[in-house]
Amino acid sequence: MHSRRAGLIYIVPAFALLGLVLFSPVFYGFWFSLFRIQYGAPTDFIGIGNFMRLLDDPALGGTVRRSAVFAAAAVVLTVAISLALAVWIHKLGERRGFIVQMIVIVPWIISTVVATLLFRWVFVNDIGLALSLARWAGLGEIRILNDPTLAMGLLIAVSVWKRIGYAVIILLAGLKSIPDDYEEAARIDGATGWQVFRRITLPLLKTPLLLVTIVLTLSNLNTVETPLVLTGGGPGDATRILPMDVFDRAFVTYDLGSATALALVMFFGNILLVLAYVRLARWKA
Amino acid sequence: MLRRSLLSMALAGAVAGLAGLPQAHAQDTTVRMWTFLNPAGQSPRDLALAQIIANYEQANPGTKVVVEPQAWDQMTPKFLAAHNSGAAPDVIWVVTDFLGDAIKSGSLADLSQYFIKDWTPEQVADRAGPYWDLTADGDKQYSLFTSRNYISIMYRKDLLAEAGIDPASITTWDGFVEAAKKLTVKDASGQVTRYGFAHGFSENQADPPLMIPYALGKGAELFQEDGKANFTTPEAVEGLTFQTDLIKKHGVMAESAVTWTVDDVYEQFASDRAAMIMGASVRVSTLQGQLGKDKVGLMLWPGSGDKPHSPAVMAGWAVGVWSKSPIAEKAADFVEYMLGPQGDPLWVQVGGQSPGLASTLASMGDFVKQPGNEFLSVVSEGSVNYGWLAPIDYSIGGYRQILNKAAQRVVVNGQDPKAALEEAAAEFNRSHNR
Repeated sequence: MHSRRAGLIYIVPAFALLGLVLFSPVFYGFWFSLFRIQYGAPTDFIGIGNFMRLLDDPALGGTVRRSAVFAAAAVVLTVAISLALAVWIHKLGERRGFIVQMIVIVPWIISTVVATLLFRWVFVNDIGLALSLARWAGLGEIRILNDPTLAMGLLIAVSVWKRIGYAVIILLAGLKSIPDDYEEAARIDGATGWQVFRRITLPLLKTPLLLVTIVLTLSNLNTVETPLVLTGGGPGDATRILPMDVFDRAFVTYDLGSATALALVMFFGNILLVLAYVRLARWKA
Repeated sequence: MLRRSLLSMALAGAVAGLAGLPQAHAQDTTVRMWTFLNPAGQSPRDLALAQIIANYEQANPGTKVVVEPQAWDQMTPKFLAAHNSGAAPDVIWVVTDFLGDAIKSGSLADLSQYFIKDWTPEQVADRAGPYWDLTADGDKQYSLFTSRNYISIMYRKDLLAEAGIDPASITTWDGFVEAAKKLTVKDASGQVTRYGFAHGFSENQADPPLMIPYALGKGAELFQEDGKANFTTPEAVEGLTFQTDLIKKHGVMAESAVTWTVDDVYEQFASDRAAMIMGASVRVSTLQGQLGKDKVGLMLWPGSGDKPHSPAVMAGWAVGVWSKSPIAEKAADFVEYMLGPQGDPLWVQVGGQSPGLASTLASMGDFVKQPGNEFLSVVSEGSVNYGWLAPIDYSIGGYRQILNKAAQRVVVNGQDPKAALEEAAAEFNRSHNR
């Protein structure tokens, strides 16, 4: 009994700190969202008025759809490419594997804003590298940022490029934790390379894959720097995704009421997604 | 004995420390200021600010001015948030779009109570003009303006001269298009190597689009009396059509302009890719530093018939003191110095800005007449006769971005300008219906 009380005393400060840092902004945000916000300060209590205003916004449905497409495409591509890369690096020798690993990590360690600006400079100008290459390749005047579909494609590509290093590291760590004996035993039993990967490697990578998928989903659903710097949400609304909508509501039109309401909806959406992922992984097991 | 000596020394130290404490506090006052400028930077305005701060600190020993540079387009909303959380800086530069919000929020102190009450009528008259009126409320004054920004046409003097175009002759929109066509250059393969005009339509770092001076010049109002958007007037529709036709019909502006920010446009200009751009007077000196003082000029917008020129959007930075600043008096003292007779000439000479005081303009006549500085006269004339300041009686934040998005839709999606402006008006009204 004594040791249990002592244990509680030990963890209370950590939980109090977590509560202060992680949960108090959410509670404050929820309270804030129930008021009419004038000049940055809450005034009249309007209940769910700010949430109802979100429903009245005809553009929000499109923003939600674009966010889903962007996040799904970016996550699937990142996981697929990084899994292939991790398997390849795992099979390389120690020295060559280390060099490739370092190269793959570089995009992840570069500041997002700096990396996105580099892409912007390549694609934004009439004299940019991308247009010159397109002309050289005989593709004509392809202006990627001017085309709604291509601009979204580029946004997804930049997101994949930026996050692939993180995913490779986690998956590579997962691969290294699988004992070689399993593969050897399977080989002796006559399993092909694909069968080994499908029946042994992939199931044993379930936990790192789940972790990577969750982190990538949240990261892509909440990224504001990449669309803000790369496309500004344009052309039109073609690359406007939810976090950018929150940013614009808060810092462009200064509509803090609906910005907070939308941020809260996103927060609970994120939690639901994580729960769904975890549940799905358990079910598969 | 030893213990007694140590005790005596400790007591003496404590007494000395306590005696010194109030004195040290009185001497070390730090004034925090948020601005988009960086005194450690090398642009003309950065240098001017650094010199003004150095002069002020020298004249006021014990006072230190610390600048916390901010992104210009997010600084004011951040300030309003900081005001509510009690962590705002002592001195703030407020962008005109959010000036009304800042004043109504009570975040800006009335400067009259600190120093304007002691001014002579001549001192007040020295600042008279639309910028002064904008932040006056009866006998209260909430800020003083600096970096007065006149957003019109920045042009390459050498390229216009080469093409035989006198900027003063561009007094109609048709004349403007003709000039832009003359200035557009193609290479042997038909690729445009230089456009006649450039203007960014991005929602990032958005300047007020060209359709605004066009519509204002034809007598339209951009906002209704209750603050609702008035974007769908025939003049505004005509303005957006004209703006987008520069790309679609006349080919004098790059199609990539739909994704360009203000900074992208300046880069195009600095790299000889555009002969004329929609540019801000506050940037002229920086561009002159890059291209040569004799190569960059500023002209007024063309007129729409009745008058030779259309009104340009005037912006600028309203410098105020945070109402809850614990050192508001000191902060106000710095604001008065920075934008008064001591600071104003430095903003002009070093920073390449138009003067804030009539007396500065009068005393610096020779400087203004120097080659390369003529743009200061253009700004002075434009501010008096052809200027438009966004209203501050209601919140209008985001109107530039929303209008730029409408222009994107017209160019990229081929949307009808009227339909694009109807969508823009609905979006603006929705986001301001709080």
